[in-house]
Amino acid sequence: MSAEPGTTFLPQHTRPASVPTPRVTSGSDEVGAVRAAAAVAHTSDRGARIVAVTIALVWHLAIGLPAVLTAGPALAVPQVVLGGWLLVAVLGVIAGIRLLRDAPLPAAPLAGLLLVVDVAVFASVGRAHLFSPANWVWGTLAWFFLVVLWGRPVHRLLALLAAHAATALTAVVLHGATGAADLARATMALYGTSSLPVAVFAGAAALATLSRQRAATAATTNAMVAEREAAEQARHERGERLNLVSRAASEVLTELADGRADPADPEVQRRCVRAAARLRRLIAESDDVPHPLLHELRAAVDLAERNGLPIDLVTIGSPPPLPVRVRRSLADPLTASLADARDWARLTVVSGPDEVVVSLVTPDREGPDPTGHPAEDVDGQVEHLYERDGKIRWTQTRWHR
Amino acid sequence: MDADALAPVTPGRPVGVAIVDDHPVVIDGVRAWLATEPRLTVLATGDDPDEVLRAAPEADVVLLDLRLHGRLVLDKLAELSSAGRRVVVYSEHSDPATMLAALDAGAVAFLAKHEGREHCVATVLDAASDRPYVPPALAGAMVGDPRPDRPVLSDQEREALLLWFQSMSKASVARRMRISEHTVKQYVDRARIKYTRAGRPAATKAALLARAIEDGLVRPEEIGIYRSRASTDQPTP
Repeated sequence: MSAEPGTTFLPQHTRPASVPTPRVTSGSDEVGAVRAAAAVAHTSDRGARIVAVTIALVWHLAIGLPAVLTAGPALAVPQVVLGGWLLVAVLGVIAGIRLLRDAPLPAAPLAGLLLVVDVAVFASVGRAHLFSPANWVWGTLAWFFLVVLWGRPVHRLLALLAAHAATALTAVVLHGATGAADLARATMALYGTSSLPVAVFAGAAALATLSRQRAATAATTNAMVAEREAAEQARHERGERLNLVSRAASEVLTELADGRADPADPEVQRRCVRAAARLRRLIAESDDVPHPLLHELRAAVDLAERNGLPIDLVTIGSPPPLPVRVRRSLADPLTASLADARDWARLTVVSGPDEVVVSLVTPDREGPDPTGHPAEDVDGQVEHLYERDGKIRWTQTRWHR
Repeated sequence: MDADALAPVTPGRPVGVAIVDDHPVVIDGVRAWLATEPRLTVLATGDDPDEVLRAAPEADVVLLDLRLHGRLVLDKLAELSSAGRRVVVYSEHSDPATMLAALDAGAVAFLAKHEGREHCVATVLDAASDRPYVPPALAGAMVGDPRPDRPVLSDQEREALLLWFQSMSKASVARRMRISEHTVKQYVDRARIKYTRAGRPAATKAALLARAIEDGLVRPEEIGIYRSRASTDQPTP
């Protein structure tokens, strides 16, 4: 192409005044970190959920049920007390299973239903069993609140417990248990049965938040380390390629200077052209960590060049993160044409946040079209153009967001 | 400032060129390219812009290596441009940001060094008549311009720049876009003229603009209203 023996310029340095490019990988890294953190938080939260569901159901079954059955006919309306117990048991099992399967039932209707049961049981238990274990709502209900409201803000749980306390105190007053001892028992019962669920609920929420933060920090750190390693690797590879290219360039220049190589010799000219193209490509690489698309294209270019093809690769802008299929649809037709190219080739990549256009131009010649990969259609997102006009063969792929 | 700040090139007399580069071998190479064109004559060469222009104050076009003695001389470029010197920058720094910075500073044209042989003579001739010349590398920089305040280019202008950058053949671009080569050049040049509004004003930019209006490439009323592309951002087909 343009570079000829007399016009081959050596760079004065190996690192150009590089354009500060946005990190192409940081977006996906952040997403990855958030996902990893969420996974860790989820695992740590699962243990607390199992605890809450188990306590609610075991208490309900082991303490509530025998007491209700024992009290039996002594209750004012035993059917309501037992029916309420059954309803809550069924609800608790379903809500618990759903919670453990990450598909919690809607909280508001369930909470409302629990409160209705609360009121009904207090109304039907009778004065004699107001404070006995047969009035199972004292002990068990708060744990079901927990199961129903898991993962919601703690103030909702507090509101529900307040409603429960109001119901209980109203019932105590309406049953005429207004003596100091009864009020004290009621208060103690409420305090005793509410404090532990609240502690478990708040503790689990705090633990989940903490583990999420720590996992996010760890994931971000890992991503940074990985990126640094990739950058280090890229720098190392570039250094090696520069050594290789510099050697090739200085060899041919020395031979020219010594008069051992003839500038008119086509082979010497080809060597100059190849060395110049390689140097230009190295100078043009301004990205610390190559975008996978550019990495693939550079690899294809290096391969073509090793087969003796002088090739220019010019990239403008940084591609956004691209799914593998899109990347493949962008690169494959080009690499196929590249394998078929003779004399010279020019590969360009122009990228913006919403568009990436890759193009390969090679001189046209007799012969069939390259049997390229049929462009994989990625939902019509990548268009593939191939044409030859007698002068050039032009392959272009273009991706739109 | 206006176009009159630039000394007009006398018709019939060869265009006087001054070459500023700190590598004698490059000066010799450029001189050899320009020698193939009788309408051009090299008046002075050297590695210091001030000295070269003292030796040849009548130079119509200055070919300036953007890196002199290890530093980028964008400030010197701006100074020369606002003083009405037609500067064609040529540099091995063909990264888009540097090219756009050179345009902003008032360079009439930017030539990547590896494009020199094919485009040098044409660039200098066009620069001497205050006409835009956009080699492929510059077209790439313009079409990929990521700055929020970049000029608003029409879809055809963007497409013509992109295809010209890709193929380096206006004939192929014309076939591809199904328009004439002349129209391809018009689209490319119009995009370039829009860049005379980017960056600070310079006599050279005013001259390019005035000549473009004179040539009918753009209409005066098209020029004053370039909005920021950020406000009307739209995808290109």
